[in-house]
Amino acid sequence: MENTRKLENDCVVRCDHIGKIFGEFETSHEVVKDINLNIKENEFVVIFGPGQCGKTTLLNLMAGLEQTTSGEVNVNGKPVTAPGPERGMVYQTTALFPWLTVMGNVEFGLKMAGVKKSKRRERAQYYIDLVGLKGFEKSYPVKLSGGMCQRVGIARAYCNDPSVILMDEPFGHLDAQTRYLMEEEIERICSTEKRTVVFVTNNIEEAIYLADRIILLTNCPATVKKEYVVDLPRPRSYVSPEFLELRELITSEMDEMDL
Amino acid sequence: MSKQQVRDKVSTILFAMLSVCLLLLVWQLAVSGTTLGKMFPKPIPVFQKFVESLTVPIGQYTLVQHAVFSLYRVFVGFVSGAVVGVILGIAMGRIPVIDAIVKPIFNLIRPIPGVAWIPMAILWFGIGETTKYFIIFMGGFANVLLNTYAGARDVDKQLIGAAQMLGANRRQIFVHIVLPASVPYIFAGLQVSLSTSWMAVLAAEMVCAQEGVGYLITGGMNSGNTTQILVGMLAIGLIGLILATLMRYAEKRLCSWKIRGN
Repeated sequence: MENTRKLENDCVVRCDHIGKIFGEFETSHEVVKDINLNIKENEFVVIFGPGQCGKTTLLNLMAGLEQTTSGEVNVNGKPVTAPGPERGMVYQTTALFPWLTVMGNVEFGLKMAGVKKSKRRERAQYYIDLVGLKGFEKSYPVKLSGGMCQRVGIARAYCNDPSVILMDEPFGHLDAQTRYLMEEEIERICSTEKRTVVFVTNNIEEAIYLADRIILLTNCPATVKKEYVVDLPRPRSYVSPEFLELRELITSEMDEMDL
Repeated sequence: MSKQQVRDKVSTILFAMLSVCLLLLVWQLAVSGTTLGKMFPKPIPVFQKFVESLTVPIGQYTLVQHAVFSLYRVFVGFVSGAVVGVILGIAMGRIPVIDAIVKPIFNLIRPIPGVAWIPMAILWFGIGETTKYFIIFMGGFANVLLNTYAGARDVDKQLIGAAQMLGANRRQIFVHIVLPASVPYIFAGLQVSLSTSWMAVLAAEMVCAQEGVGYLITGGMNSGNTTQILVGMLAIGLIGLILATLMRYAEKRLCSWKIRGN
């Protein structure tokens, strides 16, 4: 029954007229307004919009860390009401557990699920190797650089094998050089291990470089302004004519929004 | 260790020795050169007495036995204070109802120093060991409770969210997130509590005891024996230093994840 429903819709995440209002009465503040979104399996969707527009709130609604005030988020056909392991989260601030080693962080989800030690170690090791942190298994996060911490965060989310991975401006705190490097890493990781990803950013280059589809949001309250399907071949070049053309198109759309 | 680190360590030790020698020299000169000598013993006899009393009893016991008496009392009072402080602190930090009930009472009791409980404790428990345990307990547990409370209450909400997203249930979040996040705070509390417990045992022994290092210094006072007082004070200082060092070592082992560099 569950399966047929999934096939019918052919999408992992469905946002059905969702809205979010913080506060009540006069002090209320509408942040997300009537967003409809269907995300297919193994699709890389980038949610792109101006700063403070409600992108992160939208992601938190999908995660179940915030509750919608109207509409419903469905993952695998089931409504989202609370945080849960079928959705993985990668945070801007990494949110690694500082008292656990790299290995401890990556295997955390499996440990909570009661997976046997030898089995979860093997699986965690695979993802630690995948994100390029071989040799750092026993290091504590405090000793790693910002880019390395973010790799741990990505491995931690992957290792739990969620249906969808939600990434909240994961490279927002990194310097420009590391950022380019991490974008290439994400590209490499996602081509090795296909996953459904929802990626929030306010960086247009990052959006075009990574996305199968870009959802452009309006200023607060966030609504869907426009969608762009990006079908440039991968790995993409930041300076190819098609890339720059799309960049110009989206930028002009955003400038229009400011007026 | 690199060459630079070895050199730094050696010079630290040399300077420490130099400053202690300087203190002893000033002590010797002050006592032999002025009338201070009438009320204050010279350093050499103090050290002689210190070494001698390791084997020759003062009162009924040797210095080592006195120290063991005091340490045992601190141990009982401190450990019971720590256990109650940690449990109550975490309960208050995580369960709003308990916080609301306990905090007002606690805030009333907290500013009363442990030693202020001495008269009441003697009336309740007599002058036996229970009195001393009680005084030490009252002197130490508030610090543990306060720090544990702060740690348990201020656990990063994002980390709790991250654990939930990875499938942790309420019990797992408590064991794997709240407890480890509170450990550095608990240790800060234990550190302060140990030193206040050590102060409380001396106060308790000065009032009502026939043994322990606190008894040594009051005994010296009552018999006008300044050398014995200084031997007692020296022992108090040394034991306090050793306790603090042990505590720091334990903290370093348990909270190694907070330390940057190698």
